[in-house]
Amino acid sequence: MDVPVDPPVYTAKSYKSALKPIWCPGCGDFSVLSGIMRALTELQLPPHQVSLVSGIGCSSRLPAYSTLYGFHSVHGRALPVASGLKLSRPDLTVLAVGGDGDGFSIGGNHFVHACRRNVDMTYVVMDNSVYGMTKGQASPTTDPDWPGSKLTPDGPGVAAFKPLEMALSAGANFISRAFSGDPLELARHICEGIQHPGFSFIHVLSPCVTYRPEQKAWRENVHTGFAEPTDDRREAFLRLLDDDAFSTGILYKGRAGAFQPSTEATTTVASLGDQFAI
Amino acid sequence: METVEDFLAHAVALEEDSAVRFDDMADALEVHQNHEVTELFRRMAHYSRLHLAEAQKMAEGLNLPHFKPWEYKWPDAEPPETPGMDATHYLMTPHQALVMALDSEKRGQAFYADLAARNANEKIRALAAEFAEEEAEHVALLETMLAKYPEPSDDWDEDMDPPAAVD
Repeated sequence: MDVPVDPPVYTAKSYKSALKPIWCPGCGDFSVLSGIMRALTELQLPPHQVSLVSGIGCSSRLPAYSTLYGFHSVHGRALPVASGLKLSRPDLTVLAVGGDGDGFSIGGNHFVHACRRNVDMTYVVMDNSVYGMTKGQASPTTDPDWPGSKLTPDGPGVAAFKPLEMALSAGANFISRAFSGDPLELARHICEGIQHPGFSFIHVLSPCVTYRPEQKAWRENVHTGFAEPTDDRREAFLRLLDDDAFSTGILYKGRAGAFQPSTEATTTVASLGDQFAI
Repeated sequence: METVEDFLAHAVALEEDSAVRFDDMADALEVHQNHEVTELFRRMAHYSRLHLAEAQKMAEGLNLPHFKPWEYKWPDAEPPETPGMDATHYLMTPHQALVMALDSEKRGQAFYADLAARNANEKIRALAAEFAEEEAEHVALLETMLAKYPEPSDDWDEDMDPPAAVD
């Protein structure tokens, strides 16, 4: 006779590895790690059923600090790796994480096409508007007049990348912005992002206390700009026109279905060969 | 907050979150070789776990409701006794760590005192008053500890080998 077994209960500890983060104390990325753990705990997802893929950078160290199946990939390439994984293993919950430089510059083209492709996965970008791991250069989201790097003493001089506008234009099916200083709300975004079909993009304002100490003031700047999500792209674009880059909340929850081709072969090598027979 | 079960669910979450955060901060400071502050944060986490055990014991036999992390009714974004992760610094001193812990305890005390004063449920008011009193003891204890650690000098965060920007 089968003995009924209670389903396992996962706590935040279930998802946390023994490795201690080497991030600077005070870094916003700690809260993102915590937000992911909270979301997974809430969803009671077995660690072996979740995969966490990253690129390169401070925030991309995140998979090492979890017990999930991690893939610390190549700079800017978290999304193609994560897409491939999800397409071949649709049974897994796939998360991709990284920073603004990794995601919007080195991996910028992958970001656009991951939004467009709309594979069912969740991408969390920890944006601190600086390349922290290489010690403080301007990134794609740095303001044009930021003078903090000797490489760009008068500021980078080019307009900052607008991740939410780009994600909406390119076709992401879930778009939100959260602040690392509000980790419970961030956990809600991650939870909803995971549950929403298609490509979910969560933009997290995550201060760099070492190279952008002035970002501590973000706590005073953030405000709930997107009180309720809309499924209307026109409405979402209108909201973004009024966005001061510190609006938080879930902006958009689209209705598009996720891209998931069959994992079964649709043809055979022999029949393909037949097509080329003369 | 309407029932004793609601109240105890909040009390458990409050202490649990505080313990986890102090442990996380201890880990962060340990990596940066700040052993004195690491030890202090570990002690704070230990105290929080002791209080957590007390709250859990009081909840024995009760069916506590499940709240999602963002559904709790906290006065601010996080549970009141959870110290802000962004207030840590790799060179922070024990004095600063204790000030941070003291602030956490004061917020916890204020949270319970407010419930004791305003909640409509008499049982919750009584329990909250008890918890507020206990928090007041922790505040007093931390103030005593703080008196033993001098305030840091103005150059406390001066690093002879700083993580300076390299271009």
